[in-house]
Amino acid sequence: MKSITSLSALLLGVSLAGAALAQATGEAPPAEAGAGAAAAVSGAAEAPAATETETAEGEGMADEEEVEVAEGQTLMPSGHDIRAVEMVDGRWVNDEGIPTFNVEDDGTVDFATFNGFRRYHAECHVCHGPDGEGSTYAPALKNSVLRMDYYDFMQVVASGKQSSNSVMPAFGTNKNVWCYIDDIYTYLVAHGTETIPRGRPAQRADKPEEYTAIEDACMSS
Amino acid sequence: MKHLLNSAAVALLLTGVSAHANESVLTETAKPEQWAIQTGDYANTRYSELDQINRENVGDLRVAWTFSTGVLRGHEGGPLVVGNMMYVHTPFPNNIFALDLSDNGRIVWRHTPQQDPEVIAVMCCDTVYRGVAYADGMILSHQADTTLVALDAMTGEEKWSVQTGDPAIGETNTATVMPVGDKVLVGVSGGEYGVRGRITAYNLSDGSEAWKAYSTGPDDEMLVNPETTMHLGQPIGADSSLNSWEGDQWKIGGGTTWGWFSYDPDLNLVYYGTGNPSTWNPSQRPGDNRWSMTIMARDVDTGEAKWFYQKTPHDEWDYDGVNENILVDKEIDGQERKLLVNFDRNGFAYTLDRETGELLVAEKFDPAVNWATHVEMDPNSDQYGRPQVVAEYSTAQNGEDTNTEGVCPAALGSKDQQPAAYSPKTGLFYVPTNHVCMDYEPFRVSYTAGQPYVGATLSMYPAPDSHGGMGNFIAWDAVEGEIKWSLPEKFSVWSGALATAGDVVFYGTLEGFLKAVDAETGEELYSFKTPSGIIGNTMTYEHDGKQYIAVLSGVGGWAGIGLAAGLTNPNDGLGAVGGYAALSDYTELGGQLTVFELPG
Repeated sequence: MKSITSLSALLLGVSLAGAALAQATGEAPPAEAGAGAAAAVSGAAEAPAATETETAEGEGMADEEEVEVAEGQTLMPSGHDIRAVEMVDGRWVNDEGIPTFNVEDDGTVDFATFNGFRRYHAECHVCHGPDGEGSTYAPALKNSVLRMDYYDFMQVVASGKQSSNSVMPAFGTNKNVWCYIDDIYTYLVAHGTETIPRGRPAQRADKPEEYTAIEDACMSS
Repeated sequence: MKHLLNSAAVALLLTGVSAHANESVLTETAKPEQWAIQTGDYANTRYSELDQINRENVGDLRVAWTFSTGVLRGHEGGPLVVGNMMYVHTPFPNNIFALDLSDNGRIVWRHTPQQDPEVIAVMCCDTVYRGVAYADGMILSHQADTTLVALDAMTGEEKWSVQTGDPAIGETNTATVMPVGDKVLVGVSGGEYGVRGRITAYNLSDGSEAWKAYSTGPDDEMLVNPETTMHLGQPIGADSSLNSWEGDQWKIGGGTTWGWFSYDPDLNLVYYGTGNPSTWNPSQRPGDNRWSMTIMARDVDTGEAKWFYQKTPHDEWDYDGVNENILVDKEIDGQERKLLVNFDRNGFAYTLDRETGELLVAEKFDPAVNWATHVEMDPNSDQYGRPQVVAEYSTAQNGEDTNTEGVCPAALGSKDQQPAAYSPKTGLFYVPTNHVCMDYEPFRVSYTAGQPYVGATLSMYPAPDSHGGMGNFIAWDAVEGEIKWSLPEKFSVWSGALATAGDVVFYGTLEGFLKAVDAETGEELYSFKTPSGIIGNTMTYEHDGKQYIAVLSGVGGWAGIGLAAGLTNPNDGLGAVGGYAALSDYTELGGQLTVFELPG
């Protein structure tokens, strides 16, 4: 669990100056959540260093700067490569086993990323705005996820974060969020890199059987 | 006045004290130079007899003075003026400032409550607060964390405080309170957290609880009488709520009460609406889900319900029924009637007899509304009073995991909480509206106490085949049920309107403009851009013989969520991304009161 300070600044992105702190008080999330998620919460996985160029001190609408992703660039400021190398348990992952999206040449979006769109717009958008674009009081997550390490992202979603009058709730015990957190993450990365546009993905792949099995186990746990 | 005397006498007999607070609010709201409760008057007309500023001279309006609240979140509601004092509130942490109008707005006292910021985590849609109320020499404030506090209006000294809910299970407050009789009525927010809605009456004298009436559940907890509480002319019968839910879903079934209260002193009835049933996934709660989405009329002394009208049985779109009920007396079919007019989120404007709950008019107040063809008005029909849902737009009929497209209005409604105004001079209602449609896909969710309990995903976009903007400001005839004129706006109009005897109507816009229009024609007479988007309500007062107009700026709230980055229409294809106006191109966060005057 390194670089807590930078993560706080990134995810909350609202008036934090020195006050960045991450709470670790959330209860343990359902065990059946995605492998990466479980690892994040247990602290078992070590992540590559995140760049700390972002300060996000401004308090304003959709205040977080966009991340410029050059044509063909696959390594994000977060240190993660966005290229999908294999499907594990119904979700695409990169070379480090971190969840990522997979979009076919015809625009078909993998099921998990599509589902991330749905879940984001039920659980996250009332603060963070449509399509991760930010609101008048919460940062644009489509940008945060490109700067922020995956494990730090998980930490903040699970345990929440607080700074003056801005509060990110802890979602670690909320199955509607936690069973789909990898999906929400990959959706935001896909949109942040402009691989998919704003709005509902027009075409999606079918739901893999392994995905369904894990989802059912998580939601019924 | 017979009824008023009777009810006052009865209240006096029952409680020993009473009626004084009622009289204090009646007295203070009757003075046109003041604005003593958020709604302006008990009837919620937001009309002022002041006419110094009128359609001839309003074009000369200028800024008299300003005040920064020090908080940069969505500023709903508006200031009060009682005597020489103005009371300004802020969003969380719900600070209150008492300003001396006779001393250049000197801060006489300030109230800065210490609230656990954790409450912000369970507030859906920003930390807005629709303001304080005056009664009996006290300022009443219902904080985000559901602490209700009574402060001495002159000194700010705390008289009493009471906890009305539990934020740990998602219960919060954003609404104003309504002091009536010897009581003050409060609601609760949290429909997106599975909170069970209710209103609670507290005794003004000491904050002790007088009665509590739930929106759902057993009859005795709803304070209904199965034989005498009426719905569309029929007794509601026993277990009317329990029979309309599957299992125990009503316990986490919403029907919260975060809108406005109105009150008829003659009938001694209070009126308010209940919000959406939880979850947003209709398949998880078969039945009519009574009494969510309902206009309620209750006796103030006992809390017992006289009548209900459920506007949207078995909601499938999140059309919370909490909007203000405006009480007017008008002639219908040659007969003078006591009316209640309600502009619902679902896009229908209802006119009812407020004594009996009889449904008189139900017409769309935005032509874009498409989820229902009409409301059945034939009392002999088994569909009487029910909206006739269009199958194509039924998220319940289309089912879980199906994206229902092109539903108008969107979940934020044709109109949200932003209150309308009524001018007895023109006989028209002035309504700030949204002109936004949506795609809505419900899916299964599980309930965890204190966690969001939503169950649908949605995307919103400006109403198709229209002017491209996301709002209108309209004038409405509630007897005929028709729009008289409609002013297109780039963004949803999220600011409460004000009508005055000067034949001028005022409202604010999300870009931050304070606008004045002609009450007859809608012609724009004045416009001034304030420092931030306006979601506050316009008000007027008079001090030292001079009329002022005041409004809070500070963009945010529901409107600040979807509009900050702009909306897109997924049905327009890839090329349309960014094709709609983004609020962030027009304004920034703020927290400011702007007061206007005529020169000289």
